[in-house]
Amino acid sequence: MSIEKFMRDAVTGWMVPYGEQSDIVMSTRIRLARNLTGYHFPIAFTEKDAMAVDQIVSSVLLDSDDCRYTYTKMSDLPLLSRQVMVEKHLVSPQLIAPNRHGAVILSADETVSVMVNEEDHIRIQCIYPGLQLEEAYKRADHVDDALESNLPYAFDEDFGYLTSCPSNTGTGMRASVMMHLPALAMTKQIDRIIPAISRLGMVVRGSYGEGSEASGNVFQISNQTTLGKTEKEILIDLGNITARLIAHERKSREMLVAKSKIVLENRIYRSLGTIAYARILPTSEAARCLSDVRLGIDLEIINDIEMSILNELMIFMQPGFLQQFADAELTQEERDIFRAKLFRERLEVELKNSSTKHGKDE
Amino acid sequence: MICENCKERPASVIVTQETVDGKKERQLCEKCAFNMQTFQFDPNQEPLSIQQFLSHWFSGIDPSPAQQQAREEPFQTLECPSCGLTFAKFLDIGKFGCASCYDTFHERLPHVLRKLHNGHSLHTGKIPVSFNELFAVKKKVEELRLKMQEAVADERFEEAATLRDEANALKESYANGGGERNVD
Repeated sequence: MSIEKFMRDAVTGWMVPYGEQSDIVMSTRIRLARNLTGYHFPIAFTEKDAMAVDQIVSSVLLDSDDCRYTYTKMSDLPLLSRQVMVEKHLVSPQLIAPNRHGAVILSADETVSVMVNEEDHIRIQCIYPGLQLEEAYKRADHVDDALESNLPYAFDEDFGYLTSCPSNTGTGMRASVMMHLPALAMTKQIDRIIPAISRLGMVVRGSYGEGSEASGNVFQISNQTTLGKTEKEILIDLGNITARLIAHERKSREMLVAKSKIVLENRIYRSLGTIAYARILPTSEAARCLSDVRLGIDLEIINDIEMSILNELMIFMQPGFLQQFADAELTQEERDIFRAKLFRERLEVELKNSSTKHGKDE
Repeated sequence: MICENCKERPASVIVTQETVDGKKERQLCEKCAFNMQTFQFDPNQEPLSIQQFLSHWFSGIDPSPAQQQAREEPFQTLECPSCGLTFAKFLDIGKFGCASCYDTFHERLPHVLRKLHNGHSLHTGKIPVSFNELFAVKKKVEELRLKMQEAVADERFEEAATLRDEANALKESYANGGGERNVD
C-alpha cells in the first residue's frame, strides 16, 4: 500500500493538531457508561439479552437523523481490523473479546463511538483533538440525551447511573486528556508530579489506558472518582490540573533551551536521523525518537515537519496498523523493519511537501 | 491464556478451588468466574485490580477475622434476586451483575463507594430527563391518591372514582413508558 493511500484511510478525527495548547495536549476524551433496565449487565447476561440490547441501542442511533452513524458488529470484522480499531482508540480492547456480542456505532468523522455490550451495555465515547473538555462533553452529553429519550436507563436517585463496576457509579463519566510531556519527563519532575495528581482524585496512565506504561512521554490524565461531583466539577478540576501541567511543561522547556541548548539539539537531531534512516525500529526506540522530534518541532528547532507527525505515527507504529500497511501478517522482527519503512516514507512525504511549498513561494 | 471453562474468552482470573485432592488452580475469564459456585481470587496475580482493592478492604483480612466474619456474615450471604450475585461474590469480582444488585446491597454500598470515590457515596451529577418525568408522575399519583382518600372520607364517591381512574391511567403510562420494566 502506498503511504499516501494508507494515511488517507487511517488518519482519524482526533489525530490532527487543534487549538492553542495542541503542542502539549494531543487529544481530549469523554466516556459515559450507561446501562439499560430489564437486562443483566454484560458480565451476567445471556446471549439473547446481548442481542436484544445490541438491537435496541443501535436502532435508536441509526434511526436518528443527527449525523450519519455506521454500525459494525465486532464478530463480523477480521481480527486485524478489530485490532486497528483498538489502536485508533475507537473501541476498547475489552470490546473485541470473542463471544461478547460487542458492536460499535461510529459517527462519520469517527469522533463519536458508541460501544455496545462492553463492560456496560452502552459506552459513549467522544474523542476530540487538542484540549476541548467542554466541547467533547457537550457532544457526548448530546448523544446520551438522544439515547436516553428512547431507552430506559438504569438510574438510582442516590447512586446515579448504575454501572457494572462500582468505580464508574454515579456520573459514569471518565474524562481524560492525552498530553505530551517530554520536558517534565527529561527533568524527572514527572515522577514527583504523578503521585501528587493521584491525591487530587485523578489518575495518570500511559497513553494506551489501563495498565500500560507511559511510552514516548505521552501521558493520559483522567478523573478517578465519578461520585459526589457533578460532570461540570469533574471537568473543571481536570481542566485546572491540565492547565498547571501545561504551564509546568512550558517552563521546563524554556529552562532546557536556556541551560542546555546544544545537548537538547543534539538529542533531537539524532532522533530525527534515527527515524529518517533506520532500517530496524523497535517500538520503544520509535516512541522515544518521535517524542524528541516532536519537541524539536514545538521548539522550532526542526521547521520542515508538521506537528501532526507525532499524533499519527504514535498510532500507526502499532502492530495492527503496521500489518495493514504491509498487507501481511508480520512477526515482531518484521514489524520492526516495517515500522522503520513506514517512518522513512512518512518523513519523505513530509519533506517532499515542504520542498514543493518552498518552490511555490520562490 | 484462554479460559479453561468456556475455552473462548481470554482468561483474566485465577480461581483456587479446594477439592478433596487438595488445592486446584483454574484460569478463567471474568464471565465464567462470575458463574462459578465457589471461587476466590489470588491476590498476588494482578498489580492492583478493583477486585483486589475491594476484597482487601472489605473481606476477612482483619486482625480479628472471627469477629469480623461474625459481623459481616449476614451481608456476605445476601443474594441478588435478579442475577444471583451474592455480596461476598461482589467483593471478590468487584463487579455488579445487574441494576438490582444496587438495591439488594443498598445498605452496604455507601461504605464501599466512599472508599472508591474519595469519601463520596451520593450522586450529584446529571439526572436523566425521563427519570425526572417518572419522578413527577409518581408524585402526581401520590397526590391523586390523597385527594381520593379525602373524597372517600367526605362520601363524595363519584369524585373518588374519577380520581382513582386518573391515578390508574397515570400508573399505567409510566409502567409502559419504560420506567420500571420487569427485571428477569
